[in-house]
Amino acid sequence: MKVSASLPTGVAALLFEGARRHRRLEKTMVDMLEDRGFQEAILPVVDYLRPYEDLLSSQSRSELYRFVDRDGELLAMRADFTPMLARLLAPHISSLNLPIHLFYRGDVLRYQEERAGRQREFYQLGAEVLGMEGGQAEEEALIQFLDLLRVGERAHLVVVLGFAGALDRLLLERSGDGMKASDFVDAMVRRERRHARKAGRALLEVVEDGVPADPSVLGEPAAARLEALRALRKRLAPRFPEVDLRIDLAEFADQVVEPSLLGEIGTRAYYDGLVFRAFAGAGAEPVGAGGRYDRLFSSLGAEVTAAGFSFSIDRLLSPSSEIDR
Amino acid sequence: MIRLALPKGRNLSTALKAFEAADWPLDSLEKGDRRLRIPFPEIDAEALLLKDWDVPLYVEYGIADVGVVGSDVLEEVGGDVLVPARFTEGRSRMSLIGKGGLPKPGQQVRLASKFPNIARAVVATKPWSAEILKLWGSVELGPLLDLSEVALDIVQTGRTLKDNNLLELEAVREVAPILIVNRAAYQNHRQALNGLLRRMEAAGVVE
Repeated sequence: MKVSASLPTGVAALLFEGARRHRRLEKTMVDMLEDRGFQEAILPVVDYLRPYEDLLSSQSRSELYRFVDRDGELLAMRADFTPMLARLLAPHISSLNLPIHLFYRGDVLRYQEERAGRQREFYQLGAEVLGMEGGQAEEEALIQFLDLLRVGERAHLVVVLGFAGALDRLLLERSGDGMKASDFVDAMVRRERRHARKAGRALLEVVEDGVPADPSVLGEPAAARLEALRALRKRLAPRFPEVDLRIDLAEFADQVVEPSLLGEIGTRAYYDGLVFRAFAGAGAEPVGAGGRYDRLFSSLGAEVTAAGFSFSIDRLLSPSSEIDR
Repeated sequence: MIRLALPKGRNLSTALKAFEAADWPLDSLEKGDRRLRIPFPEIDAEALLLKDWDVPLYVEYGIADVGVVGSDVLEEVGGDVLVPARFTEGRSRMSLIGKGGLPKPGQQVRLASKFPNIARAVVATKPWSAEILKLWGSVELGPLLDLSEVALDIVQTGRTLKDNNLLELEAVREVAPILIVNRAAYQNHRQALNGLLRRMEAAGVVE
């Protein structure tokens, strides 16, 4: 009997050199994390859907693989490590010896429409820092992220920095006149200059330069937060010369914190502090991302500072990340 | 170096005029050019001449930094790209066309189109339903020869419809050539790209 070697859409098998490269990079990253005191968390690949119901946006809900098992339980395949880790730790957080440094690795599954090159199974490696003082947790997570990023030895590395809620005030002020805040968010994320221009000079400056010329237009506490981010960038840039560190608030326009905006914008928006994304070579998809997400824990009834990041090993090893012009 | 993905189809002349207006003359390139890669050392750029449908993929995957494509094509094939500007020239509309009127509420019809994904999105907003027939060309023949009751296609002057006794039943989308940019390229060439976009805006060739 002839057996087909084809696989379902969006998944891939790694054989021979592909598997060797993948494991080699993974091992280097894991060794670095363990050397720095991070402990591994091994998490299940399926879980009940129920604990995540309130955490899901319309987008992340549509990406879930869910099914009813033989006992009639509604289950979901793992689509993200961080919420799973948070829901397992939140009930016990007060009894744990903080701070905690954890890392994880494994596959996540997210449904994506069928299109050339679009994957549905991703291999992630990530880490979380829980219970450290807020600013310190953010800096610690970013430093670890940058350190791991450079071991991938990819082409031109750019890490874009921002913070959740940076543009909330501008978005709220400018919505109306036929455009909802979510339309502005889409326009900012896609750098649609005509919409940004319509909303005023400050948003066009953010689209062009990443930041407004006059930070005070962001309002407080965002303006002070931008100053702190600039100082962080200045501190870290000499330490990571092979990484181009940029501040770009438009990149994170969909990471809102205002409750009225959160309800309207359906993204996986659990960040509430520093956010960052890394691009390697010419790939459009970030090879890694992270940030601070205390809000995720507080929504689960635990008050703790939390910051973390994850890398997509597949994207770090993709040919696009090696293109350097 | 910035690499441009330019469409061989109807939007090429619009793109060339716009780049020229922004002091990026690509004058050694013209419709029917058989070369696949055309260098422009004086502006540190290179152009790729591609089928319109391939432009979004080349830009998304970073093979090209910047591309020009119809908004209809980008909506149909999708793509995680930035869309900073729309060209003011070369605009048209996507319309439902047929021999009679629009389908009645509750009616099930066949709809022929080169754009099945857009067609599904359009039908989802209507009180009637449709079986979508994907065609590769001459979509007007669908309703003309009763392959389908309606078709969804690009209408520019409306002359083809008139010559074939077809009616433009409803315009559902404005279609414009758009400038698309790879997300990583925007970070890497931000200054050059913002300069190019500002010059295009000043010349009135994009909005």
